[in-house]
Amino acid sequence: MVAEYSYSDLLDLNSWIRKNSDAFYWQCTARTVQESKLFPVNPYIAMSYLNAWYRYPALLRKLEQHMSPEELGDRAREVSSVANIITNGIMSQFYLGGRQMLIDMGMLRPTDALDDVMYVLDFSKRLNLAYHRNHAHTLPSDANQRAQLLPERVVQVFDADAFAVKPGDRLHTAVVRFLAQISQYAFLSHCECRLGISNSGPYKIGGNAEMLVRDFVDLGEGDFPWLDGVAAPVAHNNYTLPVVLKDTHFNIVDDWASFEATPGYDHDNMIAVGLYTSDYLSDGYIPVAMDNPATLADFLEHEREVLHEATSQLWKVMAEWRREQLLDAGLLVYYSVPKDLFHLAGIYDQDDWMTIEERAQRFKPLMNDEYGRDLIAELVGYISLSSQQGSEYTMSKWSGAPGDMWSTIPYSVLGDYPSTPTVGAPRAGSTSLPPKTSTWTTTAGRLSLAEVNERARATSPLAAQAPYRFLDDRWVKDNPGDPRVQELYRHTQASSRLLAGRGAGLTRADIEALRKADGQSA
Amino acid sequence: MTDPGTAVPAGKWAKPAMTHTVEFYHSRVRALVAERLAASGKTWEEAVQDPALELTREDFERIERELLDTGYRFEMSAQISLVEEPDKYRPLGKIKDTGEGEVDESGRPVIGTGQNVFRADKDITGTARLVSTVETVMDMLVNGVPEDTIAIIDDSGGTLTAPILEHFAGVVCMGGTVRSHLGILTREYGVPCLMDAVLDGLHDGDVVQVEYTKAPADAYAASDEAARARIVKIS
Repeated sequence: MVAEYSYSDLLDLNSWIRKNSDAFYWQCTARTVQESKLFPVNPYIAMSYLNAWYRYPALLRKLEQHMSPEELGDRAREVSSVANIITNGIMSQFYLGGRQMLIDMGMLRPTDALDDVMYVLDFSKRLNLAYHRNHAHTLPSDANQRAQLLPERVVQVFDADAFAVKPGDRLHTAVVRFLAQISQYAFLSHCECRLGISNSGPYKIGGNAEMLVRDFVDLGEGDFPWLDGVAAPVAHNNYTLPVVLKDTHFNIVDDWASFEATPGYDHDNMIAVGLYTSDYLSDGYIPVAMDNPATLADFLEHEREVLHEATSQLWKVMAEWRREQLLDAGLLVYYSVPKDLFHLAGIYDQDDWMTIEERAQRFKPLMNDEYGRDLIAELVGYISLSSQQGSEYTMSKWSGAPGDMWSTIPYSVLGDYPSTPTVGAPRAGSTSLPPKTSTWTTTAGRLSLAEVNERARATSPLAAQAPYRFLDDRWVKDNPGDPRVQELYRHTQASSRLLAGRGAGLTRADIEALRKADGQSA
Repeated sequence: MTDPGTAVPAGKWAKPAMTHTVEFYHSRVRALVAERLAASGKTWEEAVQDPALELTREDFERIERELLDTGYRFEMSAQISLVEEPDKYRPLGKIKDTGEGEVDESGRPVIGTGQNVFRADKDITGTARLVSTVETVMDMLVNGVPEDTIAIIDDSGGTLTAPILEHFAGVVCMGGTVRSHLGILTREYGVPCLMDAVLDGLHDGDVVQVEYTKAPADAYAASDEAARARIVKIS
């Protein structure tokens, strides 16, 4: 029996489905179909969509019993983890991708699994609204490809504590080499996809500079079983590098958390940098080796070597994998984009996120390289599948062609026309990959999964608690002296080199003066 | 409206998929679903929720076999696909060599063009080496990347060459765009790179000069042949 929905409910959800279509189309067509000689990328993408279709509804319903999408969005915004711009935004895309594939195969109609579709779409929208609260849009594409996620109190600490650098000095060189290596490692550990890399911002730094906050996530031993052993020496699971560039405008920070700059990103324009870690167990960002420029350079040089070695070792492991193992690993990276939300709630289960449901597994005989490539190209690029075609009079937002990526829900479901409610309960899953055996690398140390979940359930960051949760920048503007605001700012500043204890009244000019006194002014 | 190829109602504004495998698979699956639905005597709503009527792995295996039985063979992307199932995939193609390429201002053969990822300080002259297999990468990982290697790579991913990318003097990639993973990584490493390269007459071991000083390509701009960087053959 399908739940009752109002016309207003459906108008809102169909608008969100269409926004998903348009946003994904813009992203996908700026790239070609991604291919790799190592990984069967497009077959694993297609398989991940199917796994998402069958599993997300039940898993997200379970999640909301522990934490609302709004609280998850608020919690995720205060740290860098896999719950970030691209993963929060793309979860509904993957789910809709599975739906569209099945509609096109005639195995599903747009009126099917109505309660599931309504639930997953509503959850993802609420999550993104909360996550992007500070710029008051739902996605970066709504903000003209800008992703200013963070409140002043966090950006201010990043700005104040960043060490000044210039080309040729030791820290500058260490940062450039570290960024290249960590990017390489993130692509490999994530099986060729970019889900290990996320950027937010830009944030204005004075008259001629901007800060980009560069995140690299899921690098250590953790949820991905293939990182057991090879990633053991990696010090932290997530890294955040606020980098400040002069004479550079980041004109695009998009829904996939990737950036473009004008003029192009040039390390020679980097004038300041910091390094932090955080995760689902941390109360905000924790500085890493930020005592002085030399300690930071030491750390980056060492960790660069660690990541270089881990890249070589992991590549050798993956080069020995069978095709099904390469396919499973990639599809699990894609499919598991919501997994850190479950970590935030303290209910992460390896079987939920690192296995493939039997209803998805059955499609594997179709998933040769050519079908995967052509299906993904037609599905998210050409919009050429039969099920995607619309009235010959229509022109879609970007392509002008009569078709859209994801089918909306027919309004007939509001009348007496039939529909079905759900894909049903998740079924057993399996994987061709070796099981996970090691601990999880967290900001609270190396922990078992039971300890990870227990600590997560006990974690309650100050910024997510009442009454601090709703003290946003708009309220702070009129109430900087309010004791609660002061407490919130001082909490964020607790481990700051220059701002510890200074509270909420500081302006950008104050930050610049403090930096100048510390010898960090560019 | 009915799709005559499958006798399955395909709906108004329906049209065949652009590509052969997608059209073949999806039309066969639609036909099978319609057949099972008709045989069940159930309504769609009853049938779609009935586990006993779900298509199975064996159904999909039969559809794949039906396509292969026509003599069709798939194009590969991942090397492992061809290695594990050589009977299902076509052999790898080679870089074309029409002998009809242009020459540059100095009379040297232009054997390719591509989109420049970032503007380098100078053009690079080096030895073109095809890097398209796990075995080649493993050899370079163990024995080192030969000096002045300009890697000719035929996929835009960042994983095949992950452990050795930083040691290339330059990269020429026969796919992708400047926003592809390989483009992103070469920019981070400062390794000059052309993406979306179109090659004609390049052979493994050629000494080439690549115009990495060309302005970087704009992924959002319309294609402009004159804006593409050139690859010329030195010897």
